[in-house]
Amino acid sequence: MKFNRIYALVLRFYYLFRHSWDRIGDAFYWPTIDLMIWGLTSTFFKSFAPNAPPIILIILSGHMFWLIVWRAQYEITVNLLEELWNRNMINIFVSPINFSEWVTSFIIVGITKAAMSFPFAMLVIYLAYKIQMFFFSWYFIPIIFLMFMTGWWVGFLVSGLILRFGTKVQTLAWTFAWLIGPFAAIYYPVSTLPGWAQKIALFIPASYVFEGAREIISKGYTDPGKFYISFVINLFYLILSILFLYSSFKKVLQKGLVKVY
Amino acid sequence: MDILQAMSLTKKFGKFTAVNNVSFSLKEGEILGLLGANGAGKTTTIQMLLGVLTPTNGEVRYFGKNLLENREEILEQVNFSSTYTQLPWLLTVEENLTYTSYLYEIKNRKERVRKLVEVFRLNKLFKEQMKELSSGEVTRVNLAKAFINHPKVLLLDEPTASLDPETSDYIRKILVKERNMFNVSIIWTSHNMGEVEEVCDRVVFINHGKVIANDTPEKLAKTIEICHVALNVPDGLKRTIEICQNKKVHYKLEARNIVVDLKEKDIPGFLRELMDRGVVYDQISIDKPTLEDYFLQVAPKKAKDEI
Repeated sequence: MKFNRIYALVLRFYYLFRHSWDRIGDAFYWPTIDLMIWGLTSTFFKSFAPNAPPIILIILSGHMFWLIVWRAQYEITVNLLEELWNRNMINIFVSPINFSEWVTSFIIVGITKAAMSFPFAMLVIYLAYKIQMFFFSWYFIPIIFLMFMTGWWVGFLVSGLILRFGTKVQTLAWTFAWLIGPFAAIYYPVSTLPGWAQKIALFIPASYVFEGAREIISKGYTDPGKFYISFVINLFYLILSILFLYSSFKKVLQKGLVKVY
Repeated sequence: MDILQAMSLTKKFGKFTAVNNVSFSLKEGEILGLLGANGAGKTTTIQMLLGVLTPTNGEVRYFGKNLLENREEILEQVNFSSTYTQLPWLLTVEENLTYTSYLYEIKNRKERVRKLVEVFRLNKLFKEQMKELSSGEVTRVNLAKAFINHPKVLLLDEPTASLDPETSDYIRKILVKERNMFNVSIIWTSHNMGEVEEVCDRVVFINHGKVIANDTPEKLAKTIEICHVALNVPDGLKRTIEICQNKKVHYKLEARNIVVDLKEKDIPGFLRELMDRGVVYDQISIDKPTLEDYFLQVAPKKAKDEI
């Protein structure tokens, strides 16, 4: 892997970010709107049952952590789509860049954007609701890392599908993450799900993280085993998704980048 | 020395064979025209030469090394430009060239970008977004991008297709100059046969996915025996037409002008016969066969033969 090539693509997406109001909106506007709506809704519910569990913190922290999954997968899939919309894939791959450098650049762009959006969202929560996300203390680190892992494998899986089937399935870039959202139990305990959905939730690594986060909010601690399970499932899916993306890329080379895009 | 070798390249898409056992080579400092009608297999061949399309059979070698096995090392020294590909349209010319410069290991990036901007007359467009540029301007940015890494091999897909005649001529001169100065080897596809005759040292004709000719433009043109004899005939046009019809030669009329297609060796006899029949002509021009004649006559004929 060569740093200059990875940097080239990161730079390409930084330039795009600078020029695109869509991208700036994605990073700051939508998270703010979401947090305001969810925060105000939770405040309203809280007014009915003042002694109930800290519903505002549960909802907003769930939303915040899901924001990382969303951003990580979005940066991978939408940046791939950006190359397809611009018919720029051929220009990228006639250069010496290789598959792993290409994938790494997506990951770096995702982390960078999340590093901008997440603190911004934390600030919004603090200013609007006086809630400190550092409440999670050291648990904060594994939670964020595991959320990134989920975002990456979702992103690679969707990118593999887009490479195979082209832009006609591009809607998956915006919708696929939400398909697993209900089973990830972002805002409610897994036990709220119907029986069959609880079984599916067992295979969704984010569900363990959200369960753990809620436990930290209510008890101040959680069983680290939840995070270990999440890590193992995430790692398994991540490996599978990268293999799938690679095989899709090889498939595209059979058809030809120009012919397909 | 062969800098690039296409060895028995074949590409099949299902039952359709787009490229069939194509072999040719490119020498150091050579400009090779890759010609053929639309759908002949040129783009498919170029994609295989760039490693963005996997051949069904065959091998591509640059500098004696297999492309698939030495992709990164080879592509550091190769580049590509096509009128039909785009660059990210929200980025400015400067940004496109800058990020591309990082894709290759280039020393003095800023200086290189500045030099290319001058060479391809992009100074006024430097801060413009790609979406604001005309197609000719985009082509020039694409060409600047293709030169960013001081390539030893350049693959140019119709590099002057969207340019006005003055800019086309300028770009052709730039490309030939670069070749002369740095010994760059170039593969050049074009439908402009005059351009190909002007710049290419050799041409490879592809038709229906097969190489049907591989020679210098002059030699290929010479394989066509037919010359175009244009005469302005103030007196005796009907007699001239009769002579053409008797000899069963093709002719084309335009007012008092007649253009007769004749083999070079038959021209003196034809002119003598005109004199004998009292035909008066006050202007004559004889156009020797060109690469375009070759393209128009040989390619369709070969295609028909295959059908």
